[in-house]
Amino acid sequence: MAGIDVGGHGGKRSTNHEIPLIPFIDFLLCLVAFLLVTAVWSQMARINADARVPGPPKDEPPEEIKKEKQLHVEMKGETKFQLIWKEGNTVVNTIDVERKKVPVGKDGDVRYPDLAKKIVEEWGQNGSHRGDIKDDKKFDQAVLHTDNSTPFSDVIAVIDAIYTPKRDCSVCERGKTTKMPGFNVTFSVN
Amino acid sequence: MSEKPLSRFHQPIAVPGRRLLHHIPLRFVRKKVSGGGQRSVNQEIPLIPFIDFLLCIVLFLLASFSASGELPIDKNVKLPNAENVIDMTDAPMVAITGTQILVDGTPAGNTRAIVEANRLQRVDELFNVLKNKRELWKQLNPGKDFGGVVVLQVDRKVEALVVKSVFQTAAFAGYPNVSFMVGRLGGEGG
Repeated sequence: MAGIDVGGHGGKRSTNHEIPLIPFIDFLLCLVAFLLVTAVWSQMARINADARVPGPPKDEPPEEIKKEKQLHVEMKGETKFQLIWKEGNTVVNTIDVERKKVPVGKDGDVRYPDLAKKIVEEWGQNGSHRGDIKDDKKFDQAVLHTDNSTPFSDVIAVIDAIYTPKRDCSVCERGKTTKMPGFNVTFSVN
Repeated sequence: MSEKPLSRFHQPIAVPGRRLLHHIPLRFVRKKVSGGGQRSVNQEIPLIPFIDFLLCIVLFLLASFSASGELPIDKNVKLPNAENVIDMTDAPMVAITGTQILVDGTPAGNTRAIVEANRLQRVDELFNVLKNKRELWKQLNPGKDFGGVVVLQVDRKVEALVVKSVFQTAAFAGYPNVSFMVGRLGGEGG
């Protein structure tokens, strides 16, 4: 047992006291057990999308908005994806990517690494907002076109591929630069 | 060490050496417990490092302690997994399980009508529930900007048509920032 010896005698109460370590350890063990039982080990996360709904009408005329390139990802065919860069309604470039599924994990998840690689390449060449988010808060827009019957897991796999290109963000977390997806994804209504 | 005292008088200063368990009258017991030339069988548990270790665990568990509890995940919903994800946020949770739509565990419509019509359409019940939630938030937080974030908890087998309809309904109800709840599939969160 641990003790504190500060000397002193002479008929008075002893100034030597032992710290009761065993009850202290018991208390700590109880605390550990309680915290372990109530701990939440969550593996859940989220993947973002943006509905881009226009705001309420205003009296003043809208500002002239510069048309930016948008990446349209078509996942309608069974064999390929189509990446289409559009500026407004004008098609700038069209790229075909083979639809090669790679199974991941036991739950039947799939990934599209070829699509992710191509999107990274394309964003590097055509993306308008690639700098630090501190200086440029806008994101490049990706529009996902999908069949109505496509299962949600496939939709998430494609959104995951679209979010592969990353840009720096020095204002997202205090004191360090983190990586954020380069695109903002929305759905096409047709 | 010699067992003989240096003199027949009490020595206030003793020769350095082992003291513990060396004064047991029975020779064979003394030999056993003090080692008898071998390593002693009595070992002291190092309590101080043990307490330090426990304190570290307690601090770690306290730092990661969440008083809000576990995220409410419907047992019937099997979520897809993704790599390029961001951390969860506190927002209304819309779960699509089978044909039922739940908002924070409360029923808020059905997907049957969408599937039967086979076209994108607004889910009126969900729209009303979300709109009421939004208005309530605004009443409770006057003058604050409404984030418009909603988290969709969608089963991996749900068709894209249903997902898009719910997505659009949430946007119409004033929640344009839609996130999809997914499992974390390794890699670093964006």
